[in-house]
Amino acid sequence: MWLIRRFGGLFGMIAVVVFFAASLPETFLTLRNWLNIGQQISMLAVIAATMTVVMVMGDFDLSVGSMASLSGIVAATLFVQDWSIPAAVAAAVAVGLAGGLFNGIIVSLVGILPFVGTLATLTVFSGLAFLISDGRTIFGRDIPAPFGDFARGGPPLASVDDRVLLLPNLVIVAALVVLVVWVVLEQTTYGRRLYAIGGNREAARLAGVPVRTLRLTAFAFTGVGAALAGLMYASRVASANPTQGDGLMLTAIAAVFLGMTLTRDGQPRVLATLVGVVVLGVLDNGLTQMRVDSYVREVLVGTIILIAVGLSALGRDGLVRR
Amino acid sequence: MTQFDLTHIGRCFGAVTALDDVSLTLSSGEVHALMGENGAGKSTLIRILAGLDRPDTGWLALDGTALPRNSPASIRAAGLRFIHQELHAVSGLSIAENMHLDHPYPRRLGLVNWRALNTAAAQALGRLGLGRLDPRRPMSDLGPGDQMLVRIAATLIGDGPSAPWLYVMDEPTAALTSEESERLFDVIGDLTRQGAGILYVSHRMPEVLRLADRVTVLRDGHRVSTQPLSETSQQTIIEQMTGRDLSGLFPDRHGDQAPGPEVLSVVGLRAGRVISADLSVRAGEILGVAGVAGSGRGALLQAIVGAIPAEAGTVAVNAVRVRGSPAEAWRHGIAYVPRERRSQGLMLGRAIFENVALPHLGALARAGLFLNHGRQRRLARDLGRAVTLKAASVDQSCRELSGGNQQKVLFARALAGNPRVLLLDEPTRGVDIGARFEIYRLIHRLSAQGIAILMASSDLPEIIGLCDRIAVMRDGRVAETLDAEGLSEAALLARFYHIDKTEQVA
Repeated sequence: MWLIRRFGGLFGMIAVVVFFAASLPETFLTLRNWLNIGQQISMLAVIAATMTVVMVMGDFDLSVGSMASLSGIVAATLFVQDWSIPAAVAAAVAVGLAGGLFNGIIVSLVGILPFVGTLATLTVFSGLAFLISDGRTIFGRDIPAPFGDFARGGPPLASVDDRVLLLPNLVIVAALVVLVVWVVLEQTTYGRRLYAIGGNREAARLAGVPVRTLRLTAFAFTGVGAALAGLMYASRVASANPTQGDGLMLTAIAAVFLGMTLTRDGQPRVLATLVGVVVLGVLDNGLTQMRVDSYVREVLVGTIILIAVGLSALGRDGLVRR
Repeated sequence: MTQFDLTHIGRCFGAVTALDDVSLTLSSGEVHALMGENGAGKSTLIRILAGLDRPDTGWLALDGTALPRNSPASIRAAGLRFIHQELHAVSGLSIAENMHLDHPYPRRLGLVNWRALNTAAAQALGRLGLGRLDPRRPMSDLGPGDQMLVRIAATLIGDGPSAPWLYVMDEPTAALTSEESERLFDVIGDLTRQGAGILYVSHRMPEVLRLADRVTVLRDGHRVSTQPLSETSQQTIIEQMTGRDLSGLFPDRHGDQAPGPEVLSVVGLRAGRVISADLSVRAGEILGVAGVAGSGRGALLQAIVGAIPAEAGTVAVNAVRVRGSPAEAWRHGIAYVPRERRSQGLMLGRAIFENVALPHLGALARAGLFLNHGRQRRLARDLGRAVTLKAASVDQSCRELSGGNQQKVLFARALAGNPRVLLLDEPTRGVDIGARFEIYRLIHRLSAQGIAILMASSDLPEIIGLCDRIAVMRDGRVAETLDAEGLSEAALLARFYHIDKTEQVA
């Protein structure tokens, strides 16, 4: 039982990879496919990593998906107004920062439950994205070519069959974000205080942790992360529409929960979250290659999340009963 | 006359004897007061009486017939009802619905019969002279006193054969104002006139003297006496409650150097339940804070550490004013060991060293920002040794430690910042006797190092044995400060109740 609880999730994930490797011997375990997976999951990795920052405090942020849409729309709209790429990107990130801090204020200072507060800002950000874009997709010549090229480019990695494989820029960005979050959460006093808030908020307060300030600022991470992911997405599809980030939020939370099943103490940790993101990416990639219908795919992915989190919860209860 | 007997009840927890051969008879029409200091065994007795715990020896009997099984259901069937100080009211529902929470709602054609529901509630309220309460009003309109009265009235709603006749009230007035208490006493009078019996558990001497027909005193798990109120007196009860022999538990104060300059100064502090507090603690001095439950002794420490915002007054360390937050207090060298270890002190799931380092992360970090795990572990190891912490390693999670060792983790945390002031709230609560002695020695050692210590405790021998002076709190005020030297428990207890003729008691 202990083995299943501690390593069951890991075994399950290895089993998934082995299954796909056996079913898709030609394509699955190739460098090209894994670079492809990396590119597909890079946006999710950025959002899930920053989501981990608030989830270690026991909070979460439902507004990240619509913030991603909004930041893409903001950047694209500014492109239309002939802003330079760095200026427009900076503006979009600033919008993410402002939105994140706003979430922090309503949750920490006003005291609205994160579920309710960020559900409201989810709607607000989404409405703003529609308002700014008039509900249209911004694409084609409105998007400067270098912006779209960024997602397609990257430093050369290897050459296979006379074709040069690139390490996608998006993967590099995602890796940097994960690294930053890892340093913040695992190597700074700031991060350990966030874990303390998650461990026992009242005890942390009485031990002199400035709980309000920390909760407020932690939401800035999810805001900025969501904005970055929105920009990455817009770059990848070289367009922006007011709903393109919507799917990211639930998947990101699912990735953090999957990761929590892997850690010794059941806490969110950013590297475990990354494993969760990879698993979801691998599942999606493998099932797509096996031509599983996309609706069936959703049912399967949801079921797998339920089984993983459920087994881990059962294992923990079993331990308590003993 | 109905009668409920507890006979030869004994209960041990490990090596600790909580109750030893305690017998008690509760009769209808009578208010029976149960008194005793903290740790005398009152709570254990009530848990057994409620069917929540089983005695190791002895039995419970209704009118001479032993109860077949000691469970909450059989106790309920015997007609006992428990009124606790914590209220469990559903504030969104009406008074009548709250009164029907553990009864089926009256129904007609399968739907709730609101008229019958309200009538039943109004009748029950009327029987206790509470006709002024409209059962259709929401429960949240009522204060804690009326909510308690509603709970008592709810027990009168039709139970058929297991109709209630014996009420156990555990510190019922703890959260009530004096007017609310008066109304409760009226209801108690109504109940006994209607033939009910009451077991009244309280620290508050005036209430007991006024209500009780009979008084039982417990001490250290033994029944000291059961007497009609007319045959006993306040002084006798106090003497019977105290008088524990604990010589040798309190280590001698080696050194005995005179206290140094004033370190902690509290002037005119008003915050939450603390109405007015003035204190001064000098370096190397141990000042106790004592008083009955609800007098504000714990709240005072919380106010000093800034966990309850101050409405007036100042707190200063070495004449530098500390402004209102726990973070600020720790920065000024005030360390705090809270009363509720688990809910207010520890991150139970996390390692010992993380719990120790928590308030000091900034000071321990490289460049004030980046963690230094090695330094945290070393610190936790050194301090763990200093407080005689027993653990496999500093990476062990706090959940796996005993109560005494958990408390030592909090002491290690408090010491990690080299504090000038140490606030201790019930430092030996739930700690076994061996660890208790170690904690006493530790407190003395810290005081010898020149730390100013302020300690709130409900344990009289402890506070007299450890402290230099004792601040007595009454109704949120620091009423007076006594010298602990030569003070008897009875004399101290008398000060809690503000009895002037202390000479007679001592």
